[in-house]
Amino acid sequence: MAKGNHKKIRGWPHNLLEHYQPIDGVVDEMVDASGNPRPVWKEFIEALEELGPEKLAQRFARADQYLRDAGVYYRVYDKAGANEREWPLAHVPLLIEEQEWAAISAGLVQRAELFEETIADIYGPNRLVEKGILPAGLIAASPEYLRPVVGTRPASGHFLHFCAFELGRGPDGRWWVLGDRTQAPSGAGFALENRVATTRALSDIYGEMHVHRLAGFFRRFRDALNGMAKISGGRVAILTPGPLNETYYEHAYIARYLGIMLLEGEDLTVSGGRLMVRTVSGLMPVSVLWRRLDAAFADPLELRPDSQIGTPGLVEAIRRGAVSAVNALGSGLMETRAMFAFLPKISRELRNEELLLPSVATWWCGRDTERDHVLANLDRMVIGPALSTRLAFEDDDCTRLGSALVAGERAELIALIEQNGGDFVGQEAVTLSTTPVYVGGWLEPRPAALRVYLARTPEGWTVMPGGFARVGFSLDPTAIAMQRGGQAADVWVVSDRPVERETLLPQEHDSFTRTLPGSLPSRAAENLTWLGRYIERSEDTVRILRAYHVRLAEASDPDMPLLADIRDYLEPFGIDVETAIPPGLIGTLDSAVYSAGQIRDRFSPDGWLALKDLSKTIHQFATTVAPGDDATRAMTVILRKLAGFSGLLHENMYRFTGWRFLEIGRRLERGIQIARTLVRLTRTAAPDGALDMMLEIGDSVMTHRRQYPVQAGRRTVIDLLVLDPLNPRSILFQLERLKAEIALLPSVGSEGHMSPAAKEILQLNTAIAIKEPSDMTAKALDDLATEIGGLYNSLAKAYFG
Amino acid sequence: MLYDIRLNLRYDYDAAAGGGRHQVRVLPPTISGVQRVIAASLSFAPTPSERSDFSDFFGNNVTSIAFRDVHDALDIRMSARVAVSRPEPGLDVSPDIRRLREELDAVRSLSPDTPHHFLAASDHAGIDADITGYARSSAGNSAVSTAMDLCNRIYRDFTYDGEATTVQTRASDAFDLKRGVCQDFSHIMIAGLRGMGIPAGYVSGFLRTIPPRGKPRLEGADAMHAWVKVWCGRDTGWQEFDPTNGMRASNDHITVGHGRDYSDVAPIVGILKTTGGQVGEQAVDVIPVVLEKA
Repeated sequence: MAKGNHKKIRGWPHNLLEHYQPIDGVVDEMVDASGNPRPVWKEFIEALEELGPEKLAQRFARADQYLRDAGVYYRVYDKAGANEREWPLAHVPLLIEEQEWAAISAGLVQRAELFEETIADIYGPNRLVEKGILPAGLIAASPEYLRPVVGTRPASGHFLHFCAFELGRGPDGRWWVLGDRTQAPSGAGFALENRVATTRALSDIYGEMHVHRLAGFFRRFRDALNGMAKISGGRVAILTPGPLNETYYEHAYIARYLGIMLLEGEDLTVSGGRLMVRTVSGLMPVSVLWRRLDAAFADPLELRPDSQIGTPGLVEAIRRGAVSAVNALGSGLMETRAMFAFLPKISRELRNEELLLPSVATWWCGRDTERDHVLANLDRMVIGPALSTRLAFEDDDCTRLGSALVAGERAELIALIEQNGGDFVGQEAVTLSTTPVYVGGWLEPRPAALRVYLARTPEGWTVMPGGFARVGFSLDPTAIAMQRGGQAADVWVVSDRPVERETLLPQEHDSFTRTLPGSLPSRAAENLTWLGRYIERSEDTVRILRAYHVRLAEASDPDMPLLADIRDYLEPFGIDVETAIPPGLIGTLDSAVYSAGQIRDRFSPDGWLALKDLSKTIHQFATTVAPGDDATRAMTVILRKLAGFSGLLHENMYRFTGWRFLEIGRRLERGIQIARTLVRLTRTAAPDGALDMMLEIGDSVMTHRRQYPVQAGRRTVIDLLVLDPLNPRSILFQLERLKAEIALLPSVGSEGHMSPAAKEILQLNTAIAIKEPSDMTAKALDDLATEIGGLYNSLAKAYFG
Repeated sequence: MLYDIRLNLRYDYDAAAGGGRHQVRVLPPTISGVQRVIAASLSFAPTPSERSDFSDFFGNNVTSIAFRDVHDALDIRMSARVAVSRPEPGLDVSPDIRRLREELDAVRSLSPDTPHHFLAASDHAGIDADITGYARSSAGNSAVSTAMDLCNRIYRDFTYDGEATTVQTRASDAFDLKRGVCQDFSHIMIAGLRGMGIPAGYVSGFLRTIPPRGKPRLEGADAMHAWVKVWCGRDTGWQEFDPTNGMRASNDHITVGHGRDYSDVAPIVGILKTTGGQVGEQAVDVIPVVLEKA
């Protein structure tokens, strides 16, 4: 294999290309046919070589660390169920020269325009079918042909607003389109994360090479969405199938990055023909819906009736033109594999143009000539379902390589094609080009496919200058799908001139106004409240358990009355003290993680990581920690981590409605827990030591010592933990905080009047503020816990319904 | 024939529903050459917070209703006067399956009544190797004779049994049971025809029942009915067959809806905010009207 002339780096006798062996007959992105690096790669490789293997390993570890810290994951479905996986970054970006990129862009813009006209025709006048260019039977059989929207012109005037195209470079050096994504393309957010991670590792090289920035693409699309919404007087929202979706991380990331509401189907309702989001301030109109779920699931009333993630009535709202879906429902039809076969003709018919970028050659077997061609050339073909919307290389279950069929299979397939030709397409088997990955100190070639994103703006289609390359782990070209162990690489579009630097932040000269966050969706408010409650409940439980285990470690008799009393007290709450880390406690924390997971778009990565760390710690402790001393120490660690998480939220969360619900949840729960524990530990028949334990649980031992010159008695404990407005652990303190926060919540349907919750908390707060310790009997405390609990119901009724 | 038709659908909810949204398809349409609707009305109790009427893709009348308030029952009443007059079937000039296929390919349209919509597998009437195998024994010289023969065989080979299946039952399951009701027999016939490459669809509606001689008509004793429409080539077009009764659709068949299968024409679909189940009742009266001469 011929090698290029690379300068040898002093102190490092190898060069990175030493083991680089492109495959015969396959184009390589980095080196040309004679093994010399292409111009755009030369500077890059030299810069990597200059760093040397040790530094390079450190740099790449830095990128991985960033992705872990940011909590980037995707979800993999396998036999073990759905699991979160760390994002598999291939550290070496794919470099593409600006001129070549311009040609790709022009081809894709043409394709997007063509798709828009095609989809508009299929759902409109149907000239392509009438002229025999598109077979009616093929369209009618497609599950993506959505009859409820036939004849509906999108309110925005366009079907397509955001598309992705999957490209591969063939042996002749040309780029081919392998697949079209018009339904709800994923990955643009991951492309952004790839960029951030890759530049963490290679910031200096990135800085010196003229690489096109990605931020401008997102800014233009955000502005386009906001512009569409402005015209129709509603909001923009991103609709996600929810946290169990494989790319939920990305939905939350994009929502956070662009400052757009992230909603699930149940957040939305249709009222008076308009699409509305349920918020804590009432129903608010949504006029632009960037959907990340497949259209068939969008409305159980008119589309798939088994959908649990849709919004009943959405299709009707769309037909009335009250909301624009991005992309329009039904646009997924363009992903149909057989559609490739008709694009050249459609392009001539609708635009009088040839395709600038060819699609992989495809023949639909529903017509005799094409079927005969496929059967005659079976060995050069990939055969797959005509109506499939999956990419051929992702779909190994139904897609077969003609040359790999054994005799029996081959005869069977031929018989099927002859009988039901319309069900099949034959596609020319493609060989992907290779791009370098860094393996153990060397670069090695791996097959790669490129995903490129286009967004519609008022000025036309804009192409993300970069994207997302899927790179195989082996030389097997079918192994590049993320679901089966592929990697993702950043894509650098390199210019020979300095490029414009863009960011999402407003520039110096931009004027700005400070806007308050939009209305908080009810479901998010509910999850935030419960997050607050679960975190507080965990803390209270941990405090009691710590007090228990301290005493257990010192006690001669594990059945001494105080310990037995705590055992009995916790049992009905599902906390079994015999286990050092009771499953009930783990369950509470898991619930906190679950609640937080429902609203990841509202969390900083730091907050999320702190919570995950807490959860990891407690699960670990569950297998290692023993009761007594060991458990005491473990509880202290958990308390510290809980305090860390609470501190992060308290110090970093913007003090608006969302924070308020979180705070309300915490205060409610603390009030209830303190009241209940007091009932138990201050009762007349409470065992010896109960009052001291109560002070310890209420974190008020020192304050008590300072405040009262006497031993702890029932009255002083009640005074400090119920009635002292300055003690952050007292019930009155919780009520004061609740009163303040509830007063600031949006008023719902009660102009000028106090809401029921506001009235209740005012009454409760006033009643307790004027009490004496002797008033706080066990019954009074018990009633108080119930009343605080009732407050939650009033809030839920007003804000979460 | 002239009919007065009354339909009452009633649903009682175990737990009160906080709100809901439904689409109701029970109003018969006027269909050129088949039936004419002289008057029709549809009412709901409680009164919905929102109501709108539209035609769906297949031309069926749809009433969309929404409830925002708490309610524990839904009562739907439809009444209509419909005149049915179907042409007598003419001489069978329909093509065989091979020629039918060619004529089908020549139909360059996606308008709602084109046969293309009715050839692919659908939710309730999926293409099934066993059903296709069964249907093939009926394949004859013409599409009409093929459909008529299959219709008669299903009528003979299957047992009417109101308990064996539900509205969710798919063709393949009913086929294995060899039992079911009009909905199941229609799905089986549709699946069989599609399996052979003949476009077939589902028709929902009403059927006049003739009381036994000397007995009065029982009120509310009729039920909603279903039968099959079959595309029999360019010249013959759509023909309707009733496999539950082993006959062609007659002037006793009053049409409410057309679709690929039951799910396109279900009388009511809805999403309800409730925690409990529901009990539904259906009462149908199809009363022939004899106009007295003035």
